[in-house]
Amino acid sequence: MRLRRTFIGAGLVAALALTGCSGAAPESQPEGGAALTIAKPDGAITTESNNPWVGDSAANRLGYKNVIFEPLAMVNAVGDNETTPWLAEKVEWNDDYTILTVTPRTGVTWNDGEEFTADDVVFSYNLIRNTPALDTGNLQMTDIVKDGENVVLTFAESKFVKQSQVLHIPMVPEHIWADIADPTTETNPEPVGTGPYTLDSFSSQSVTLQARDDYWGGDLAVPTLYYVSYNDNTALTTALANGDADWAQAFIPNVQSAFVDKDPEHNVFWAANVLAPDVLFLNHQKKPFNDLAFRQAVNIVIDRAAHTEIAREKAGPELSSVTGLPTPVGEQYIAPQYEGEDFSMDVEGARTILEDAGYTWASDALIDPDGEPVSFTLEVPQGWNDYVTGISLIADQVTESLGADAKVNTPDADTWWANKRSGNFDAIMHWTDGGTTPYDLYSDTMDGRWLLAGDEVDFNFGRYENPRATELLNTYATAATDEERTTALEEIQSIFVEDVPVIPVGTHPVLGEYNTRNYTGWPSEDDQYATADPVQVTVPLILTKLTPAE
Amino acid sequence: MKIPVRFIASRSAFYLFTAFAAITINFFLPRMMAGDPVTAYMQRNAGQISVEAERSLRILFGLDKDSSVWEQYTSYWQLLFSGDLGRSFSNGLAPVGEVISSALPWTLGLVGIATIISFFLGTATGAIIGWRRGSKADVIVPISTFFSTVPYFWLGLIAIAVFSSTLGWFPASHAYDKGSSPAFTADFIGQVIAHGALPAITIVVASLGGWILGMRNMMLTVLDEDYITVAQAKGMPNRRVLWNYAARNAMLPQLSSFALSIGFIVGGTIVMEMVFSYPGIGKLLLDATNAKDYPLMQGVFLIITMAVLCANILADVAYAILDPRTRQTEA
Repeated sequence: MRLRRTFIGAGLVAALALTGCSGAAPESQPEGGAALTIAKPDGAITTESNNPWVGDSAANRLGYKNVIFEPLAMVNAVGDNETTPWLAEKVEWNDDYTILTVTPRTGVTWNDGEEFTADDVVFSYNLIRNTPALDTGNLQMTDIVKDGENVVLTFAESKFVKQSQVLHIPMVPEHIWADIADPTTETNPEPVGTGPYTLDSFSSQSVTLQARDDYWGGDLAVPTLYYVSYNDNTALTTALANGDADWAQAFIPNVQSAFVDKDPEHNVFWAANVLAPDVLFLNHQKKPFNDLAFRQAVNIVIDRAAHTEIAREKAGPELSSVTGLPTPVGEQYIAPQYEGEDFSMDVEGARTILEDAGYTWASDALIDPDGEPVSFTLEVPQGWNDYVTGISLIADQVTESLGADAKVNTPDADTWWANKRSGNFDAIMHWTDGGTTPYDLYSDTMDGRWLLAGDEVDFNFGRYENPRATELLNTYATAATDEERTTALEEIQSIFVEDVPVIPVGTHPVLGEYNTRNYTGWPSEDDQYATADPVQVTVPLILTKLTPAE
Repeated sequence: MKIPVRFIASRSAFYLFTAFAAITINFFLPRMMAGDPVTAYMQRNAGQISVEAERSLRILFGLDKDSSVWEQYTSYWQLLFSGDLGRSFSNGLAPVGEVISSALPWTLGLVGIATIISFFLGTATGAIIGWRRGSKADVIVPISTFFSTVPYFWLGLIAIAVFSSTLGWFPASHAYDKGSSPAFTADFIGQVIAHGALPAITIVVASLGGWILGMRNMMLTVLDEDYITVAQAKGMPNRRVLWNYAARNAMLPQLSSFALSIGFIVGGTIVMEMVFSYPGIGKLLLDATNAKDYPLMQGVFLIITMAVLCANILADVAYAILDPRTRQTEA
């Protein structure tokens, strides 16, 4: 008797587990005026803070700051990297990008009814200039003046490569913020902005925003936005799959079966390639990566398709161009000599390069020209799963194809972080900053300016030293004409390809999950007017483009 | 009854010292970890924030000034006595007290109620099973033990898949519906109950086994005592023998485990919070640790330490009342 009961129990659990897997398919009848739920996987919202400047305030963490406060202009991280004037009617830079002239848009009102003016623009930028704690872009503004209807901002350095950091500063009303004593601890309980939505209610479980009927940008299809946070990716994936959440930016393993297939007609996953690949930083100060032949050989035996397929679990396209520029967004920058030139695996070619450079093999083990066996260690922090899988694959490929002894080490993130800054490694996988020009990619990987910092560097971790590259990058950032920039960039790319300062491995796209059940007009691979990330400043642009589904 | 002055004094001294030591460790422990709040922030926003932000973050967090650990330690005590726990780096510089009070009530409410239900249900079931040893009721022991050994996250995911995704009886996550705000209305209370049901039931199911097993085993020992035999021989009703004679004595060790588990309620149950996206102290502490958010970590540690100490005091008092031998340190 006892035995049978136990079996029934076990059988019941198994049956439940099986039925549970099927899940409930959301209904697919478009609902007019449906709310949109934007979800994040970052854990509970704690206290209300609608401060648009402080990084981890509720408004910033959930991203609803972007639908309340708007910037002067939006720079597209994908597509053509174009600038869309927003609260400005036009933004004009001088030739070397040190002076910005802004014409504020007329007819824009704050959500308390007051008019948006040039004084508000001056005030917002002055606030940043006078509060170093909030100046995360280190803007180096020297002068902010009103010139008739316009506002003229002067900078101590060229802002060509940092345009988005200047233009994306959220505008706040002077009549509210002028009386606030400390903008860093201000919680701003009744946020006044120019944005399309206003804060309706805040609780630690969800934040509700309602559309304005007097928004300067026109009518809004979505009347209500909910911002919700889940405690981890699993819970968020469940919510996206069953329709509790509509829009998110999250890394979902096996996104096809876990999300898209739950409603193939409407669920969309779009990994938008931005100008920021994942690369292997190589230590140029010691063996084996101080040798160009070895860097070249490793560069052409890495299986980038396997990296995308296995390590990134197909969350985004493969990195193809030899220039390291993720495509399609990077195509406009690729130098003519590298157009259409893609990475391809060539084990024979790699072995020839090594042989020519004096490497030999002793029973399959690679021996360098000094007669020592070649070995190195690839390092990333433990728990960073896509990176750990990524370097394990590379280690296997290099060991099998070249005979070098490639090891994998996964220290804790803080140790790794300190080692990477001090240059205490052979090779590490790391991201590059995603800018709206290719400058960040190339500067982060080969610019000598980082090395001026001394023992602790912020980028160029492998201490690649090439005065010509440093000079060209400086030219690109500060030049006064497009021709100069183009020429510089072409030569930078040829150094990057020929000298292999780092090894580009995969793309690091901005992910976005959404559905078209109730609304269409989303950004997508075919219409790259913005990334599909719901916490970017471009969200008002997306929300004004959405239309009810038919 | 004579008041055991020396006993109370020595226990008080012990607790004061423990509190002091705990608070000191709370201060030093977070600072012994590698890394600091700024690099942790940069790691979380990998690639999304440029390295130029580091300088402004240091100023924002107040980490740009060099102050010795000793200075920080003394000002920590000063702040503590003035009731100020500092500002949380990872919550937009919100006061730590407010951050904790946004999570603590949910942990206390849900885990507290679940623990009390589990304790009473488990103890009562254990008593009955022990009383009817060898009967069919014994089958409950392996079943309940099975549920407490199954990994909790798996139990939670199954519960969500079945009762939420498939049957749609309960919401899968959060403490109440999106769009509603805490209020004393029937509607809101209903939401809280609906959202809390699955997490509470799974906690009860997962923790029941321990209480049942402990109580049943104690019952078996107690039932062999002479006074049980005497009570039954006198013809006393079984109900009375079971609850007033056997269970009452068998419950003593259960009570002390209960006092201890009250202390741990405050620590929250992080796996439950993760699976059900339920607000609570456990996830708060994990996030604070990952963000190297010293003020918040200290605040949470302080609450947990105090809760465990208070629970210990309660256990001490309860034992001193129930068992005279523990009071006899005077002799």
